[in-house]
Amino acid sequence: MPLFLKERKNLTILIALIFFHFFLISMQVPLGENASVFEKTVFSVFSPIRHGVLSFFKGIGNIWKNYFHLRNVQNQNEEMKEEIFYLRQENNLLRNALERFRSEREIEENLLAMHENILPAQVIGLDPSNYYKSVIINRGTLDGIKRNMVVLDKNGNLVGRIIDSISLKEARVQLITDNESGISVFTQMKRVQGILKGDGKGQCLMQYVLATTRPEEISEGEDVITSGYDRIYPLGIRVGRILLIASDASLHKHIIVEPYFDFRFLDQIAVIMKDPKELFKD
Amino acid sequence: MRDFIRVAIGILAAFLFYTIFSRISPFFLLFFNIFSLVVFYFAVEKGEIFGSCLGAACGLLQDYFSFGIYGVAGLAKTISGYLAGYISKKIDVQPPIRNFFLLMLFSFELVLWALLYSFIIPETLNTGGGLILFQPLITAFLGIISFFLLRKIKKNKY
Repeated sequence: MPLFLKERKNLTILIALIFFHFFLISMQVPLGENASVFEKTVFSVFSPIRHGVLSFFKGIGNIWKNYFHLRNVQNQNEEMKEEIFYLRQENNLLRNALERFRSEREIEENLLAMHENILPAQVIGLDPSNYYKSVIINRGTLDGIKRNMVVLDKNGNLVGRIIDSISLKEARVQLITDNESGISVFTQMKRVQGILKGDGKGQCLMQYVLATTRPEEISEGEDVITSGYDRIYPLGIRVGRILLIASDASLHKHIIVEPYFDFRFLDQIAVIMKDPKELFKD
Repeated sequence: MRDFIRVAIGILAAFLFYTIFSRISPFFLLFFNIFSLVVFYFAVEKGEIFGSCLGAACGLLQDYFSFGIYGVAGLAKTISGYLAGYISKKIDVQPPIRNFFLLMLFSFELVLWALLYSFIIPETLNTGGGLILFQPLITAFLGIISFFLLRKIKKNKY
């Protein structure tokens, strides 16, 4: 075949491939945060392979750990880690309940209920365009994951909420640092209310706090907790600490909140398995 | 047939590396791009069509790992795979020119990917405090080492 014809054929293939990608991209854009059918199909195809690979390497690692090294100590350690994980979640979620002087019996009931509703999960991927936006966890519809379920870090601090179950064993979590997120919060001391929004750069902004709010009502260093008014996040989850309060000519204060969850240590997280609709039905 | 087996092994190796590294820490995925190495290696060896098709396949696999929009990395890799194959036919990409060529190509791919992303999602691209800018350099460095090792293995074989 003459060279110019061959090059033309090559270019045609390249253009076809480019069009295929444009088509693929355009298919996903109108869906916003929801995964497309294509995306779900790819996840369904590759997830088992990926899980197989991970299980294989995990299995090899476990053999080494469990049979050649400190078998009993390792088991004990794992159990204790798990126990600490649950205790931290319970402790944090019930701290606010204690403040409101609930009866001891009521607290115990909550504690028991919470323990049953926590599902440990691991972060397996992040959004490369902006990794303060969302992460992917290794739990999906098969584990009972539903939209809007609340996600906490291993210390019980708020991380975000489930926005989509991508596959049977994977789900996407919207982080509170995402600039499209919104959480109803108040300050811990004087209950000054506001809406917490991510800035997309690792911090959050507490919005709609009136500029007339007195300095003794809200101060830097104060804790910010969820208020439960958004009917997604239950009351009393630790969110972050006020880093800076500034006032300008606008009606509202400019408040920067530093989230308590540390992005670098998001290895283990907890999903509260209670459906938000059930949480707020009372 | 033998070539396809080699390509399949290359893709599988990249897939395994990505799976393991993303499990250790997702931040590893910012530092180097192992799929680009596979695309580059075969594009130089087999030509632009092979490079672009392999680029499309590897790019989509990378999109699977990155959980972003499907097709962005695919498109960037298709174009860079084509270019790698095309340029390697026109000029002799042997060391040390190849090392520079590697770096330039990976930089081009990263810029293309970033531009496409910024175009589709009109937000500031998070570069991990500039860490992502090291990606072409680290990938090129890994490429130089792995291609050197592959050459050695080939030499010993024959």
